[in-house]
Amino acid sequence: MMQTETRAAAAPAPAPVPAPVAIDMKVSLGAATAPTPASAASLPPVTCPFRTPERRIITKEDMDQFIASPIRAALVDFIFSCSDACRGLKISHPVATSPVVTAVTSVLDELEKIADATPPEENPKTRFGNPSFRFFYDRVQKALPTLLEPVVRPREAIVEVAKYLEKSFGDRKRIDYGTGHEANFMAFLLTLYRLNLLTDADKPAIVLRLFVRYLSLMRKVQFLYWLEPAGSHGVWGLDDYHSLPFLFGASQLVDHKYLRPKAIHDMDIVDMFAKEYLYLGCIQFINRVKTTASLRWHSPMLDDISGVKTWAKIESGMRKLYVVEVLGKLPIMQHFMFGAILPFENVSGRAVKDEDLEADDGHLHYFFTM
Amino acid sequence: MGTSDLDRQIAQLRKCELIKESEVRELCNKAREILIEEANVQRVDAPVTICGDIHGQFYDLMELFSVGHDCPDTNYLFMGDFVDRGFYSVETFLLLLALKVRYPDRITLIRGNHESRQITQVYGFYDECLRKYGSVNVWRYCCEIFDYLALAALVDDRILCVHGGLSPSITTLDQIRTIDRKQEVPHDGAMCDLLWSDPEEIDGWGVSPRGAGYLFGGDVVAAFLHANNLELIARAHQLVMEGYKHMFKDTVVTVWSAPNYCYRCGNVAAILELDDKLNRNFVIFHPASQDARGIPAKKATPDYFL
Repeated sequence: MMQTETRAAAAPAPAPVPAPVAIDMKVSLGAATAPTPASAASLPPVTCPFRTPERRIITKEDMDQFIASPIRAALVDFIFSCSDACRGLKISHPVATSPVVTAVTSVLDELEKIADATPPEENPKTRFGNPSFRFFYDRVQKALPTLLEPVVRPREAIVEVAKYLEKSFGDRKRIDYGTGHEANFMAFLLTLYRLNLLTDADKPAIVLRLFVRYLSLMRKVQFLYWLEPAGSHGVWGLDDYHSLPFLFGASQLVDHKYLRPKAIHDMDIVDMFAKEYLYLGCIQFINRVKTTASLRWHSPMLDDISGVKTWAKIESGMRKLYVVEVLGKLPIMQHFMFGAILPFENVSGRAVKDEDLEADDGHLHYFFTM
Repeated sequence: MGTSDLDRQIAQLRKCELIKESEVRELCNKAREILIEEANVQRVDAPVTICGDIHGQFYDLMELFSVGHDCPDTNYLFMGDFVDRGFYSVETFLLLLALKVRYPDRITLIRGNHESRQITQVYGFYDECLRKYGSVNVWRYCCEIFDYLALAALVDDRILCVHGGLSPSITTLDQIRTIDRKQEVPHDGAMCDLLWSDPEEIDGWGVSPRGAGYLFGGDVVAAFLHANNLELIARAHQLVMEGYKHMFKDTVVTVWSAPNYCYRCGNVAAILELDDKLNRNFVIFHPASQDARGIPAKKATPDYFL
């Protein structure tokens, strides 16, 4: 016999404010120091053959090797130089938009149309996320080769480029999204950069046009399909889904004449500038979503960071955070994929293809041990 | 450490106040003595209330005890993931541990995938211990205790409780009993699978998108229940909008006890009350009101930004 009921607690006595905890700030976190990366310059130029990317970070030794690898250095360089490129610039700042930038924007527009044409299932009776996300994902996967055809040269590279863009939208099976998926969008842009389709001159547009466009599309997708936060650090992380808008966003605000970090607490200022500055846009967005408590409760890290004196200091802190917490953690990077454009030869020599993980016919295709 | 000391510590922890590092060490020593005697598959008698992930949501745990009634008046079984993500992993875990030491036969704690050195260094518990105690000792003491937690519990020989799910390496309960559990959660193998696997609408086994454990289908569950004379697998590990979710004709149930997860997910939480006849009553509860919560102490600037 089984039944269900809802109960609420009796009204509680108000809790006292705890005394502030004395902390020895000299204690090092150990993991906070990033290992010295290899030079991105030692990354060889792209060579054929192109092939569907595979996972290569499988063991802890693979992870250590990745941390010291030229490809990681290249990814870090690329992201940091994009951050440099948008320093002090509003989103609406006029930036050079090359034909490739315009073409990629069109691809994102088309992907948004797919989302609009793939509404969430009503009364889904699933555990959490909406199963229509899988239809969206499959349609994106199917459409990308055609959508990327005008953009990618040589055409044989499409199989790799498309995989990173596909992975930027979340995990098909778990119906979730996190900073690892966001990193895939930068990896997608890096493949175009490595193919010389995007250049250094495009970097302001990469942030202020392409990343901004992706972020807005991603927020729509997160809500439409109620994506689960993948591997959120909860109150010990910046945000459940995203990391880069805070990095790029801090860079935008460096040396701003009057907006200081503590401005995030002023709702009028946040609302006024949310459209021009990614960081404030994030604060506005989080406050709209997490309505049951104040910033100090739901995002204490952002609350604490608002006490830092300058945006330059925040931006430099965000760089360190990103390298350690996103590109340096096995639970995230174990899912990252490598091919000819973003190459990585791992210690263990093992590789895992996507098909091995996503076959739904129930047969275990690939037994791998970590 | 006498009973009155323990009662004082429990009272303190119930107010969400930390106990001293030396008290934590002593508490963990006492807990180890009790947990070391527990089996990999710890036998539990009904009636008992089964709970899922808490993830440091201390005030919501208080809500849970309020609706489920306090320990030891109610017998409890917590299926792991006490720590990480929430504000109060330390207070949450230490309270549950203190209750275990005080009322060892009234509360059972089994291990979740977050009760791990590797995972807690990523998802917050390590950072929290460092910030609240200024050293990593409390984290180390707790991680050692994690190694002693049982892997599963068996209620009246009929209901298996495990944090994640099943393993292709395990067909009988006796095979779980042969595992050497006193170690960090391995990257693969039976012990890892029990804490990481998920049920899925497939036939047989599938590779897990989590990167650890497996997906297992209804046929696997049916075979396992039959081979071991069980009626239900209760597990946690996955966020559920409605607090609990059945699968495979009610032979698997996921119980999730962290309401409004990450302040974003808008989910309710649930606990599963089993009476002495193993009748199942699911109790849904919502997050504790904001008034019920204290104001979190302002933490110092994260190290990256100094």
